[in-house]
Amino acid sequence: MTTPLLLILVAAVAFLATHVVYEWLAKRLLIVSGAEYLVLGVLLGPQVTGLFTPAAIEAFQPIIILGIGWMGVAVAMPLRLQRLVRIPAVPYRTALVESLLTFGVVTAGATSAIAYAYQVPWREVLAAGGILGAIAVASTPAGLDVAFGERGKDAARRAPVLLQIEVANHLNAVVSVVVFGIILAVMHDTVPLMVRALTTTEWVVVTLGIGVVGGTVFHLFLGGEQSADRLVISLGGAIILASGAAAYLELSPTLALFAMGVVLVNSMRNPGAVQDVLRAGERPLYYALLLLAGASWRPDSNIGWWLVIMHYVVLRTLTKLWGTGIVTWVNGAQQSVGLDWGRALIGQGRLTIALAFDYSRRGLPYGDVIFTCAAVSVLFTEFFAARFVRAAAAPLIAPLESISATTGAVLDTVTETVTHALPSFLQPSEDGSADRPADVSEPKPAPPGDR
Amino acid sequence: MRRLVILLILFAVMRGVFVLGGPTSGIPTLMLFGFLILAAYSVGELVKPFGIPKIVGYLIAGILFGPPGLAYVSKPALTELTPVSNLAIALIAFLAGAELQLSEIRERGAAILKMVSSELVLTFAAIAGTMVLLRSQLPILANAPAAEVVAFSLLFASVAVVHSPAVTMALLTETRANGPVARYTLGVVLVMDVAVVLLFSLVLAVARSLAPPAGGAEGVQAGAVLWEIGGSVLVGAVLGACIALYLRFISRELFIFGLLMALLGSEVARILHVETLLTLLVAGFVAENAGGGRGEDLRHAMERAAAPVFVVFFALAGAKIDPRAVLPLLPIVIPVVLVRMAGIYSGMRLGGKWAGLPTQVTGNAWLGLVSQAGVAIGLATVVADVYPSRGAPLRALLMATIAINETIGPIMFRLGLKRAGELTPSEANAGQSVGSPPTAGAH
Repeated sequence: MTTPLLLILVAAVAFLATHVVYEWLAKRLLIVSGAEYLVLGVLLGPQVTGLFTPAAIEAFQPIIILGIGWMGVAVAMPLRLQRLVRIPAVPYRTALVESLLTFGVVTAGATSAIAYAYQVPWREVLAAGGILGAIAVASTPAGLDVAFGERGKDAARRAPVLLQIEVANHLNAVVSVVVFGIILAVMHDTVPLMVRALTTTEWVVVTLGIGVVGGTVFHLFLGGEQSADRLVISLGGAIILASGAAAYLELSPTLALFAMGVVLVNSMRNPGAVQDVLRAGERPLYYALLLLAGASWRPDSNIGWWLVIMHYVVLRTLTKLWGTGIVTWVNGAQQSVGLDWGRALIGQGRLTIALAFDYSRRGLPYGDVIFTCAAVSVLFTEFFAARFVRAAAAPLIAPLESISATTGAVLDTVTETVTHALPSFLQPSEDGSADRPADVSEPKPAPPGDR
Repeated sequence: MRRLVILLILFAVMRGVFVLGGPTSGIPTLMLFGFLILAAYSVGELVKPFGIPKIVGYLIAGILFGPPGLAYVSKPALTELTPVSNLAIALIAFLAGAELQLSEIRERGAAILKMVSSELVLTFAAIAGTMVLLRSQLPILANAPAAEVVAFSLLFASVAVVHSPAVTMALLTETRANGPVARYTLGVVLVMDVAVVLLFSLVLAVARSLAPPAGGAEGVQAGAVLWEIGGSVLVGAVLGACIALYLRFISRELFIFGLLMALLGSEVARILHVETLLTLLVAGFVAENAGGGRGEDLRHAMERAAAPVFVVFFALAGAKIDPRAVLPLLPIVIPVVLVRMAGIYSGMRLGGKWAGLPTQVTGNAWLGLVSQAGVAIGLATVVADVYPSRGAPLRALLMATIAINETIGPIMFRLGLKRAGELTPSEANAGQSVGSPPTAGAH
């Protein structure tokens, strides 16, 4: 099979998966679909059927880089300052400490595990451990979306636990992307370019600079004309340029595009149109990324390899579960969000795969084991992410819903009483304008049961 | 001013990235793709106020940033970006097919066939005759036997008569013109595309018998030509039917779906050795007319998806133009270009009269037929492949002719549409805004 045809088939599978399987599974079975494409990729790859040759995977590099960058800009999209400032400080504090705790614990654990498994000094594997730590922080927001959907967005405003989960998802992603980008800058080659080699700080600035320039070019390009065609050209051009530039310089496309996303979402009067375009491409690109990531997976027979993977999955899960509990207790927020909302953060998804794949495709040390850790974690957790969220949030939401129902009933009764007791008070004024709710004097439609 | 700032920023970014990347880095294909989208589009907008179509701006951007200019897009990068050009051709063909309504074919089909036949005969004969007359100017033909002169002249003419569906579609999309001149021009370009495939195959067979290629390459087999045409219709119809079914029963995410179908059609055509343009043209036509009224939605979605791809396609076409190679050939190229224009003009007037069309239509529609692009370049490459030593100078001559037609063609087409009154007022006034005093209240 030719490489382009393969690419088209990958895209077609991703496309159909997005719009047929994903929605059906999500609605009917409360399952977050996606991880199975990783398995499909493994089956199509050189390890099993060989349909995807290594050369074909190499030819897909631009798509892979674009997909990785796209995840970065998607992470930034909810970070509109105007909206963020309305959220109280406690959820941020809790989520940030939880993120840093997870990063610290998993980095330490993974560094020890890799050093032990490969019999190397821990200093040599600190960067790889840090990468695993950064990846471990990420948690998928798909669980919340599937479990509560649009209702979740409304409910998040009144249910503290959903708000906490939402904030934690976003902050986990931010910490994960930023730390990952910084570690890549640390690991960057120190070859002198002109006079001297750039420092880590300078590489980080370059990464962020690419994103900021991308965002600026987008705005200049779009100008005052907000037509859909122009939006697609300017957004597509800016994303492709920034992803390509970051990848060319061996920096993190996710961090560069994250910076660009932050610029976009906070500088546009109405970022809804940009978000729509991004959303349309996000899931198909994620599925394509999963398939290609699966196809490029390379196992190792070393027993220590599996030790690192098991260690990562267990340590991450425990940190997310207990870490959130401890942090919540320290912040005194257990009354509103409970102590085990960390269950909602166990699921890992698109960002995890994007970061791990970005690391492994560069041929950096321990890339295969790091990617396998991420892949195993996504395989075991993303599928049930919605159920994890539901399990964590449902006990705290149920009382709220009953309170809401009671409040509604009380309000209905009061309104009815007022309507009957004070009819003249609610009469329309002489000029015809009504200073009362429009439906009060109109006959109410019969409830469905009475028809 | 804003566009200049964008270009300056992009220029600085590219310089900076290339310096930071160091000399050992590979080809930044993805970055170049994004750069070309933004830079070429900006150049297109920069030239628009001068009354020049945007696609000429994209071509200029290609020349500016390509190997002959600043060389941001190197020759290996051009090869890496070839799939973008293939996708653009597929999208162009699909959109062109989707533009054709069955009722329109019934209404205009006979007139288009008459114009195509007269234009093809006149232009082909005029160019072939010019080549015979100018043979002393060409080193490969100066001392060649008569049979060889005839063979190469016919081959040259069969490529030189080709029009550009890409330029026609891109300009119609850009200007949103939809009057009789626009419709007849599109019809002639599309039918001519099919006719040229047949003509070129026939001429190549004749040329091979008159001037056998070195190594005695095989002749053109009638079966292969038949399959190329018939197979294209068949494959295109099947693809179009599948798309129509999707439109009728699912009809969602047409933006991505359209891109996928264009890619699929182009790749299947390549694997089955059928004509890509014709395959996608038929697919677009079937999808539009059998899609249960949803073809228009798909067309609009594909136009949106095609916009950045078209920009890069024309920029890449511009990057392949080497002005230094064109200049020495101008003494031969200019007469050929002028004779070609005269042939197109006479053919269209004659065909239009035969079909009973008003002179307002034919007098302007011929201006839309000057452009040449992808198909002509492809055929020129085939000539060079069949005749490796003698075909190379012929290819260079063809490329120089195409380069000039590619540059002036869109300007002439826009002029034709403007003269026919088929441009929107804002489009028609684009060239008048430069240098005019600002209107009251405009700051």
